[in-house]
Amino acid sequence: MIDQLLSELRKMRSTRTNLGLLAGMVGLTLLAVLINGFVLGAAELARHDDQHTLLSAGTSGALFASLIGVMAITSEFRHGTIRSTFLVTPDRTRVIAAKVIASLLMGILFGIVAIGLSLGLGYAILRIRGIDFALDTGHVVLLVLGTLLMTALWAALGVGVGAVVTNQVFAVIGVIVWAFFVENLLRALEPDVGRFTPVAASDSLTAGFADYLLAPALGGLVLAAYAVVFLAAGAALVARRDVT
Amino acid sequence: MTRPQPAPAHREKELHAQTTSRTSVEPARAGTSVDGGAVVCAEHLTKRFGEVLAVDDLSFALERGTVTGFLGPNGAGKTTTLRMLLHLVHPTEGRALVLGGRYEELRRPAERVGAVLEAADFHPGRPGRDHLFALALALGGARGGEGSFRGRERAARTRVDSVLELVELTGAAHRRVGSYSLGMRQRLGLAGALLGDPELLILDEPANGLDPEGVRWLRDFLRGFAGEGKTVFVSSHVLAEVAQTVDQVLIINKGRLVTFSSLAELTARLTGGVRVRAPGIDRLQAALEAEGIRSTLLDGAELLVDAAPSARVGEIAFRAGVPLHELVPQSSTLEDAFLELTAEDAS
Repeated sequence: MIDQLLSELRKMRSTRTNLGLLAGMVGLTLLAVLINGFVLGAAELARHDDQHTLLSAGTSGALFASLIGVMAITSEFRHGTIRSTFLVTPDRTRVIAAKVIASLLMGILFGIVAIGLSLGLGYAILRIRGIDFALDTGHVVLLVLGTLLMTALWAALGVGVGAVVTNQVFAVIGVIVWAFFVENLLRALEPDVGRFTPVAASDSLTAGFADYLLAPALGGLVLAAYAVVFLAAGAALVARRDVT
Repeated sequence: MTRPQPAPAHREKELHAQTTSRTSVEPARAGTSVDGGAVVCAEHLTKRFGEVLAVDDLSFALERGTVTGFLGPNGAGKTTTLRMLLHLVHPTEGRALVLGGRYEELRRPAERVGAVLEAADFHPGRPGRDHLFALALALGGARGGEGSFRGRERAARTRVDSVLELVELTGAAHRRVGSYSLGMRQRLGLAGALLGDPELLILDEPANGLDPEGVRWLRDFLRGFAGEGKTVFVSSHVLAEVAQTVDQVLIINKGRLVTFSSLAELTARLTGGVRVRAPGIDRLQAALEAEGIRSTLLDGAELLVDAAPSARVGEIAFRAGVPLHELVPQSSTLEDAFLELTAEDAS
């Protein structure tokens, strides 16, 4: 298993894919922090909720983490490297497990960068503008841990989605369409159901007991459940699949 | 896990000689593989993709030390068969065995079987060296690199460096595969197959798209590989590509076995007709008929004799007292023979 994990990490390091995702995430996080930090008025930014929005921009890392997982498996199918991967490790479930762990690790790394960036830069902006820090310690801890857990789980979920779909373009588009359109629609139309959707569950990890969201622990469990379901389905499908 | 000890070199040679002198190979000899028997074995192997029957009740067994050409027109089921041997495609019926077991049940299968299936199975943005490195890491570090991460890395590096040198890619290894020529990709694929120093090499259309130099390089390589008593199973839709490398051919068409014989036997069996020009051609035709040899009159003075050695036609003519003006063996190449064999079934 260690062998497969090292192999997967090597694969991730040796193309520019994850570097591109990291750049995208850093860019998006910076943009969000700068806009929130300088466009909002001082009175607004002094409020707990707006400050929370500013400092939690790093949660955008979740989307990129999910793409790490999606790419980890779909790019192998796309470029045909899955054949040599399965020749060396015919136990396909083991290959997927290694991809999950590698993606989790990479996801956490992304999470550290994202939350470090949004917390650090956000805090700096507050200091520059002379605005008092409104979040208590517990909330900051939740923000940090929640973001890391979020990026880790999304990376795992991404592997699951990739294993189910295997087509790279469909998988990537599917994740984005779901996160930005389907889910928003669901949350707007049926909030009771919408709370249990992946992005809403994920939001609850850092939001901290907002009444329209699940409790953080429950949200984490729901998100983990999605990952487990997709991974189980994906592993079963990939094991049965003819790699032609 | 039963892992047969690799036979010493001299024994391998012996087996090699034995198998090459065989005239025919009996299909499907199950369970004989443990002691130097079938290295590759298909037993009633069948694969159906929806409505399409890609492989149809295919049985054969390849012995250790042989170089077998796996031939058939495009779409004959070669690729599907090879992938079933390697556990990439699951048979609908029957079994596909390598080295006496199912591929997925072998311990460290890539250390025993190497395979190159497609020329393009690389991430274009990944350097060739990293492609191999990832495979080598997954392969594990049997040689001196157990335990620590550093040890595993070192073991992988040793493997990678040695195969890169073997396929003469060391200089280009740091470049991204996207910049490789087709020949370089083929060699990189081969390097990946050789990482585990396998005793069986399975290649799917390795000469496809190679320039003549590349084809020659590959031929020399395979000969060297087989010369060490190792086994090669190589597919092609062009017999000429492998004719100089293989010692037996397994021909399939429409998923079914057409013929399995030594190359020499194939040549002998399928020697094309002989064209004869002689006065008194009718008399010759009758004499041939008496010997059970069919022939066709081309025009007044020419006869096309069906498959028969030209020497025999000459002897019959001599005995019949027919002077021959011309006796031309029709240049029926192996390729013709191959096309003929595979066309038979197609009708």
